[in-house]
Amino acid sequence: MNNESKTMVKYHPDARFLTDFSAGTLPRAQALCVSAHLHYCAACRTRMRELTQLGSELFLLQHPAAPSASAFDRLLGKIEVLPPQSSTDATPDYPQKNQPKREELPRAVAKLARGSLDNLSWQKIGRFFSYSRLPVSDAKHESSLLNIRAGSRVPHHKHVGDEITVILKGSFSDSEDNYGIGDFIVRTPGETHQPVASQNEDCLCLVSLGAPIVMSNWLLRLLMPLINRPRYG
Amino acid sequence: MNQSEYSEELAYPEDNSGLWTSCIARVAEDRDKAAFRQLFDHFAPLIKSFAYKVPALEQPEVFSEELVQETMLKVWTRASTFDANLASPSTWIFTIARNMRVDLLRKSSRHIVNTVSIHADDSNDDSLDMEDLWFEDENSDVFNQLVQQRTRTMIRESLLKLPSEQAFILKKVYLEDKSHSEVAAELGLPLGTVKSRVRLAMTKMKLILDR
Repeated sequence: MNNESKTMVKYHPDARFLTDFSAGTLPRAQALCVSAHLHYCAACRTRMRELTQLGSELFLLQHPAAPSASAFDRLLGKIEVLPPQSSTDATPDYPQKNQPKREELPRAVAKLARGSLDNLSWQKIGRFFSYSRLPVSDAKHESSLLNIRAGSRVPHHKHVGDEITVILKGSFSDSEDNYGIGDFIVRTPGETHQPVASQNEDCLCLVSLGAPIVMSNWLLRLLMPLINRPRYG
Repeated sequence: MNQSEYSEELAYPEDNSGLWTSCIARVAEDRDKAAFRQLFDHFAPLIKSFAYKVPALEQPEVFSEELVQETMLKVWTRASTFDANLASPSTWIFTIARNMRVDLLRKSSRHIVNTVSIHADDSNDDSLDMEDLWFEDENSDVFNQLVQQRTRTMIRESLLKLPSEQAFILKKVYLEDKSHSEVAAELGLPLGTVKSRVRLAMTKMKLILDR
């Protein structure tokens, strides 16, 4: 925890994102972004546990509803047929108790990529970007990884849907600030910005983009693979 | 909307954390079914109630029974991973039930219909479970347990004193599986109003500080 102060994350999910995440109601593409942020941010992990405590207090205040009379016996029946010392749940992966490592990919992203970014199919757009859509089932948001070449400038663009960006590697800046690893950056419809990746290394971002995705100029090209699909109703 | 449930004066049940902790330990060490029964009798009705609150379920009774079974089965198989320094027994069981509820809902047909969406080509569900997205506490020590107890006291003392409009929204978010946006739509309130009520509640409980 001590070395974390040197690399403090500046931009965090707001109360609404943290609350919806801890309640399990955040759309999956956005939940993936919050989860990626938590990988880098001990302060938000602490906050998340407090919010889960809040959830459990509300849970205790409920009126109980009696389970069916046979419920406990059915449960015992399932326990009888469990494999001996049901080791499946004792995988070293769970619970995720160790402090996550900053130099590693967030665990959920690593799982989607089956361990390595090279396993994903990347589409090049021009010389400066490559892009890989992540298989996250979310009816209202697209989840993707975007790699911006060192020093390159994303053309000026306007946001049409809610966009969340979490930086996984490298850094970028726009007219407002510099953003680094772990930063959780929210852009709402109508905002414009022009991010520039830092000179020394590529910038890898996890992005959740809200549908419907209305295209204009460069975004049209960037996200062409998305809009060739039928729109959901 | 079931307002009556929330408008009643509710009090916390007696704090039996010590008892539940020892029951979980007996399940872990001795595979003690009597201890498991005690946990079941207390927590299963809360889990069932929690499952029933999901709106628009096709078969609420089936879903609720399934959530009870799946959650309590995990309590049995994971008992040895329980650590009272990380979470109280009720927070631990709530976390399992919440993760399981999200995963079961996602896997149920109700949800799959919703997700055959912009990606006609990958309507297969993705592989992420809630546990892949979640982070357990990494500080297993007695000090951490004290911090948790202090947080809990703070939440309990302030939760029952919150203005009803704030508590009402928190219950919708945490128990009824509704996001801020969905609560806003249901109550006919602007999203900003819902967000600020939650924020006020969090500030009163000292859970979220302005940065």
